[in-house]
Amino acid sequence: MGTISLKNINKSFGSTEVLKQLSLDIQDGEFLTLVGPSGCGKSTLLKIIAGLEQQNSGDVIIDDKNVNSTRASKRDLAMVFQSYALYPHLTVRKNLETPLKLRDYSFVERLPLVGNFVPSRKEKKKSIDDLVFKTSETLKITELLDRKPGQLSGGQRQRAALGRAMVREPVAFLMDEPLSNLDAALRVHMRSELSELHNSLKTTFIYVTHDQAEALTMSTRMAVMIDGELLQLDTPSEVYNNPSSLRVAEFVGSPKINTFAAQISSDGSVEFMGIKLERKFNTNSQKALVAVRPEHLEITKDSNKPAFEATVSYRENLGSDIFYHVQVDQSDSKIIVRGSPAGLISNGETVRISPSHAEAMLFETSGERTR
Amino acid sequence: MHHSKAHIWFVWPAIILMIVILILPIFLAGGISFTNYNLGNSSFEWVGTENYEKMFSRKTYIKMIISTATYVLIVVPVSVVLGLVAAIMLNSLRFGADIYKTIFFLPVMATLLAMAIAWEFTLHPTLGIINSYLANGCGGIREFILGFHWLPWVSSEDSWYSVACANNMDFPYWLKDKKTAIWTICFIGVWQAFGFNMVLYLAGLTSIPRELYHAAEMDGAQSTWEQFKLVTWPMLGPTTLFVVTITTIRSFQVFDTIEILTKGGPAKTTYVMMYAIFEKAIQQNITSIGAAITVVFIIFIILLTFFQRYVIEKRVHY
Repeated sequence: MGTISLKNINKSFGSTEVLKQLSLDIQDGEFLTLVGPSGCGKSTLLKIIAGLEQQNSGDVIIDDKNVNSTRASKRDLAMVFQSYALYPHLTVRKNLETPLKLRDYSFVERLPLVGNFVPSRKEKKKSIDDLVFKTSETLKITELLDRKPGQLSGGQRQRAALGRAMVREPVAFLMDEPLSNLDAALRVHMRSELSELHNSLKTTFIYVTHDQAEALTMSTRMAVMIDGELLQLDTPSEVYNNPSSLRVAEFVGSPKINTFAAQISSDGSVEFMGIKLERKFNTNSQKALVAVRPEHLEITKDSNKPAFEATVSYRENLGSDIFYHVQVDQSDSKIIVRGSPAGLISNGETVRISPSHAEAMLFETSGERTR
Repeated sequence: MHHSKAHIWFVWPAIILMIVILILPIFLAGGISFTNYNLGNSSFEWVGTENYEKMFSRKTYIKMIISTATYVLIVVPVSVVLGLVAAIMLNSLRFGADIYKTIFFLPVMATLLAMAIAWEFTLHPTLGIINSYLANGCGGIREFILGFHWLPWVSSEDSWYSVACANNMDFPYWLKDKKTAIWTICFIGVWQAFGFNMVLYLAGLTSIPRELYHAAEMDGAQSTWEQFKLVTWPMLGPTTLFVVTITTIRSFQVFDTIEILTKGGPAKTTYVMMYAIFEKAIQQNITSIGAAITVVFIIFIILLTFFQRYVIEKRVHY
């Protein structure tokens, strides 16, 4: 079992409120990502779950047991830290053995010298050796077991830290931006490895990241946190395609979603940039914001399609796609449009931009979604 | 290809200075230690290892080695452990730590000369504050506590305190008694050294990343002792190496307290090496013996340095 639920968690450091009435239910075996810009309180939330930080009010419930007054070492969770926090004076093998020894050995068995003569220690040592070996095989770090963390590369250290968390079977894994110290290629590689690991272990993973790409690729559900509040908790595709508020829509997705000022007529029809949306919305306000993702805009030569004109100011070539940053005529707003690599358009050219069918989202000026 | 010789011109002043000021004197001392030269003499004779034979056969020099070793072996471990304990305790204080730091660091900043005179008054057998405090406590709670009467195996008639009270206030003479003098000097040495060690350990403690303690907690290290063993002590390895080295060298060099408080006495029990060098070479003007003691002193320090360099450093993680 590995269900964790948080009920009305509040946390403040001095007068700064970090978490505001946050509630969250995490299911057994889930890969849940806590994602948000830096300073949104996601790491603090993870530390509260771990028990390394105490909440001001609210309950942490692990497997239907309230653990508010249970200290971190008794909560049976494992954590991977951003800085890895491996013990630098111990070899990788000893690092992996540490959590097992601290939990399995009795006080006497842990004593130096004397411990060697306790008969029960021998069997335990055998099982610890087996577990360490098995874990190192899974993570492909067997040949690194006798090295110290200082002699490892970033990626190897990351694996060793993962191994130290994996070596026993905790209720859940907590990961605090474990990939942020790796280079870009390794980060992408480790994303798939972590997903595979989750599939084979079937344990609950709680993963904190500021990188929305990690959240979108790995998680079964992602929790978007901004300014200490949980804004949306849903599957990655739902969060991406159907954000509940403008802040979520702007945070998730790269490049950022485009927003346009729109007017709403009394019959509920919406018009922006001279384009009329086909859908009608049920709202009382007259002004709103229309948001369209870059891939839902296209550069068109077809004069029959509803479109507006803009000037290309910058071309961002990513190989598979090209993103055009365009300046809308007679306004300061810049928007981003995805184009195909074929048919290059150079800077300064005027193009016609048209939204794809039924992909625009409407938000109130306050940021709430209108459907 | 043209090779400039300019670099030689840049380094030679430093090299000459280093040889003249640092290296030559050591070899000079080494040379003098094999002669009977005294300062002011116009000539000297080579006497071979006679000076060294004297050192290792005469009782005075045996006592010198014993007292130096006693001082180093007491002051180094006690002041290092006390410094570490004080640093860990101060580190866990939320407020008031600065006051304690200042108090513990005071003996380091104050001149040892002035401090030694203060100790002389305090420890005076008849006029000193310590013995008068003890004398006033006869038969009271002080006798019970300091006489260890609270220990089950100490009878209240035979404890050192009761005996002293019964024998007309015959309390220890501290610096004037050959049984207590070296221990009293050691106590003053510890008092003087541990504040410095504490400050070094405080600096070492602040550089330990907090995440390591979090990792230890998550791994199941619950007691403070487990966390100390797993994180604090290994991470303080480099600090400990430095603290032990510096305290050992300073303990070998103890001189001020001896010169002011005991002058090597009573019965040469506090006759440490540095004081012996001073007495022989400066006061009695026997330069050759002074040089021989200096050479032995240097050998001790070099052996110590090698031991630390090759034995301890291997076990220290950086």
